[in-house]
Amino acid sequence: MPATKTRHNDPTLLILTSLASGEKHGYALLQDIERFAGVTLGPGTLYGAIARLEDRGLIEPVGEAGRRRPYRLTGAGATELEDALAELRTITDEGGRRLAARSSALAGGLA
Amino acid sequence: MSARGSAGYGRRRRGLGFTPGPTTLLALYPRAWRRRYGDELDALILDMHADGRPAGARMRADLLRSAARERLRGGEDPSRRVRGGASLVLWAWSLFAVAGGIVAKTSEHWQQVLPGASAAHVAFSVLKVVAFASAAGIAVGVALTLPAAWRLLREQGWRRIRVRALLALALTAGVIAGTVALAAWAHTLSPAGRDGHDGWYAAAFVAWGGLAAACLFAWASVAARLAADVRCARPVLRVHARLAPAVAVAMAAMTVATLTWWAVVAARAPGALTGGSTLAHPSPLVPALVLAGSLMVLACGVAAVGALRAERARAEL
Repeated sequence: MPATKTRHNDPTLLILTSLASGEKHGYALLQDIERFAGVTLGPGTLYGAIARLEDRGLIEPVGEAGRRRPYRLTGAGATELEDALAELRTITDEGGRRLAARSSALAGGLA
Repeated sequence: MSARGSAGYGRRRRGLGFTPGPTTLLALYPRAWRRRYGDELDALILDMHADGRPAGARMRADLLRSAARERLRGGEDPSRRVRGGASLVLWAWSLFAVAGGIVAKTSEHWQQVLPGASAAHVAFSVLKVVAFASAAGIAVGVALTLPAAWRLLREQGWRRIRVRALLALALTAGVIAGTVALAAWAHTLSPAGRDGHDGWYAAAFVAWGGLAAACLFAWASVAARLAADVRCARPVLRVHARLAPAVAVAMAAMTVATLTWWAVVAARAPGALTGGSTLAHPSPLVPALVLAGSLMVLACGVAAVGALRAERARAEL
């Protein structure tokens, strides 16, 4: 199955980031994501992303099946998160450089 | 464990005093998905509303959107998704065939009234050609599945379809008997009587139409049940995945052709739509055509979902 690349605006990245600090069940994930990213995911969106991540082997359930089953990051999930963050860093670094150049140009024009 | 059975979605939980309406939406998810995640999602929704706060429209929309996405995504097995998508297109085509039958009956006399209406003739010709082509496509898809279906039946697959197949056979016998009886009756009637002026004949014709539709759906049900378990070779699945969108597009083209034909005839000779109505201003909104048009649009929507599902899975075969 061709894996869909994780993007910075994808709920899957938020879930991977949340699980990087330890295993969590659905409600704990929602609360954590809201706390660190200010994003409120819907329950359907959250479990859709969980299903996709589990299909791709990036996260795995912990323990017996149950109504509040926690999930944790796998090795592949940690690598995927690192790649996604590196991609994001490239964009933010480039964006920062361009904004700085623009500010300099504007300052030069005013002087 | 059945997620639905254990969680009791949508029922009042003792002690919570809160009826979690959104959990009834979990029934919209595919069964396999519900088995795996249904209990957990149900628990999450309850946790989110443990304070008794009512669930909003946003959450319901999120669940609806997500359920639709999972339906399109299907399970992990791409061959199952192709077969599921193709089955959905077959169901849609059966529904469309019923609508086509209604249009065929309604359009029996319009050419005599409007011999020179070129736009209507073009639209009607397109409708007939595409109908033939899509029927041929469906026949090819079914024929390609027959060897694998036969193997499945020989490996005790018959038990799985026995009830449906017997019902389909009984309905087929009923349709054949009904056709013979109606044809014999029609020979005793005047042309006007055959066109709805004989109330008893008209009622019998509608009953025959219902029986024929039931027969078609019964066979579609047999095919869909077989498709759920049949093991087709990969090239056959690829053909099915190609045929599904082709048939869906053909259905959309036929719907447009039908609506065009209807609009032209309604504008120039609305009486032709009602078997030569003697009213001064017959309405172009013939109930039979309104029903047929609605069924066609519905069938196109169902076929689009099936085609999308099969097409998405094709890349993973």
